[in-house]
Amino acid sequence: MTNFKQIEENLKWEAARLLEAGSVSVVLAYTKGMDEKHPQPFAAKSAADAANIVFNEYCNHNLARYIMRYTPGTKIAVAVKAADSRAVVVLIQEEKIKREDLVLLGIPAAGMKNQKTDEIIDDKTTGGLANPVICDILLGEEIHTGKKASPYDVLAQYEQMDKEARWEFWKQQFAKCIRCYACRKACPLCYCDPCFIDQTKPRWAVKSPQEHGNLMYHLTRFQHLAGRCIDCGECTRACPVDIPLYLFHKKVAKDCEEMFQQAAGMNIEDKPVMVDFKVEDSDKILE
Amino acid sequence: MLKKTTIEKINEVAAALIQKGTLIAPVKEDAGANFREIKDPREIYLDYYNTVLSPKNVFLPQMEDFIKYKLTKSPSEAQQLELNLKPAFLFGVRPCDIKSFEIMDIHFNAAGIIDPYWKARRENTTIIGYAFDLDSPPDQADFYNTLFIGAADPEGSDIFMVKRGNELLLKGITKKGETLLEQLSMMPEGDDKDEKYFADYVQRGKEKRTRFMPLDDEAVTQKYEDIFENNDYWTKVSDACLSCGICTFVCPTCYCFDICDENLFSNGTRRRIWDACMFTDFTLEASGHNPRTKVSQRLRQKVCHKYSFHVRKYNVISCVGCGRCTRSCPVNIDIYSMVEAAMKVQS
Repeated sequence: MTNFKQIEENLKWEAARLLEAGSVSVVLAYTKGMDEKHPQPFAAKSAADAANIVFNEYCNHNLARYIMRYTPGTKIAVAVKAADSRAVVVLIQEEKIKREDLVLLGIPAAGMKNQKTDEIIDDKTTGGLANPVICDILLGEEIHTGKKASPYDVLAQYEQMDKEARWEFWKQQFAKCIRCYACRKACPLCYCDPCFIDQTKPRWAVKSPQEHGNLMYHLTRFQHLAGRCIDCGECTRACPVDIPLYLFHKKVAKDCEEMFQQAAGMNIEDKPVMVDFKVEDSDKILE
Repeated sequence: MLKKTTIEKINEVAAALIQKGTLIAPVKEDAGANFREIKDPREIYLDYYNTVLSPKNVFLPQMEDFIKYKLTKSPSEAQQLELNLKPAFLFGVRPCDIKSFEIMDIHFNAAGIIDPYWKARRENTTIIGYAFDLDSPPDQADFYNTLFIGAADPEGSDIFMVKRGNELLLKGITKKGETLLEQLSMMPEGDDKDEKYFADYVQRGKEKRTRFMPLDDEAVTQKYEDIFENNDYWTKVSDACLSCGICTFVCPTCYCFDICDENLFSNGTRRRIWDACMFTDFTLEASGHNPRTKVSQRLRQKVCHKYSFHVRKYNVISCVGCGRCTRSCPVNIDIYSMVEAAMKVQS
């Protein structure tokens, strides 16, 4: 089990050191919210700020989401768990941020919890990884606890549904959507400006929360994340009406991995599967 | 008049209300309870603290159609849609949410422009309020006490309901409520002891403590005017904000909307839908200019609207402390802490 207190101490110390030395101007981490159980993402900008950093099992928010908010060239340190680090890798691959502008403070984490239910969410949303795939400074000991569950295990029930059943399932789920757009805003890889759904010329879908518009919004978002989603589960956690968006993302991620033998955001050198072409690529999708 | 029933027998009351018109009551959904129109009395769900979405959609639906037209025909053939309302019963609203209706009335039914849709729905609806359970602790996000709302305030309800163990005591508060209560003959009338319990409950509700800070309307309004351009404060509170629309959509007093023409093939509808000041395109102008490009500017608008502009204009804070925005925020931003921090800023 992760020693959260130790990681918090290390995080505070590294953040203060980096800010003091002027090596970075912002450290993206977490701070206390309403109480211990409700931590907030936090941008520490001075060594004094660093004292307010916290880290515990409820710090699920993907901090990669915030990097692009800063002017390109800003030196930023980011506390990254496994999923956050994979999002950083995708953002670097897609040339949205530069590796040399970042100091990655790696957090090996197991035992992360859902703040609403206190359920341990490791197997559900971290792509089965406990350690960051990339980092400059590791803030705790790497976790090697033998065989982790496959990130796709949670798909078992979903995959038993046939095409019609899945269509029905998603229609029902999307009927709940109130179009608050928390899913796209929480997603570290939804960075389009403007998002297609906000465009007026052409207007791709209605703005009102109706079946056809909701379908258009979610299915397009799913498509846009094909081969890119790094399985942090933030969209699902952010959803106020509990739409299990992760199921679709995971299913597409699984298909991608099977077809192209590559999971998203594992290696900076990889080309994202959807922009790469190899003669030997699977044609399964066309069949 | 006071009548009583039990939690098990509430279905009978629900069935009678369904007979009379539209019953809107809490039902259990994936993410928690929400107010929905009920067709089957068994759907009614009373084991809830408060609903995820506020009851504002009963009077201000997220989507309200005004006009139907065909793109292939002349605009003069467009059809205005009539509201065909059956009497409605809104069952199980908590006191803080009832207070929100009064605040929303300012905008839709008082301050000059009357919104006929809001007005018709309001007049058509009998509100059955439901006190918070005084024997269990309040949710940690709630702070309705700060806004001088008690856990069992009956004001604003037509009928108000309190819990006594397994029993529910319903008391008529307005004439409309009394009349309805009289018609619900399946419930026996209460005696003096029940009356006393009810009165005590309302009183005890005033002592029930949620999060509380002594907040003076004028002081908080002035404070936000003073720190309007304090970048340190606004950047700090908005660093985590994702600028999604959850807080405004779940809020019982956020009323901003957009009117748009939506077409599907040749069929068009002019409708009103909720909008949110947290969305980037909320202030996007036709020229392409956007006066609020930063998250901090958008969050500032939301908080100042509630705690400053609204007080200047209408003499009341546009927040009822229901805690929904805090509970739903994906990054745990808490408006109470934000106001608390503002009051401590040296201006």
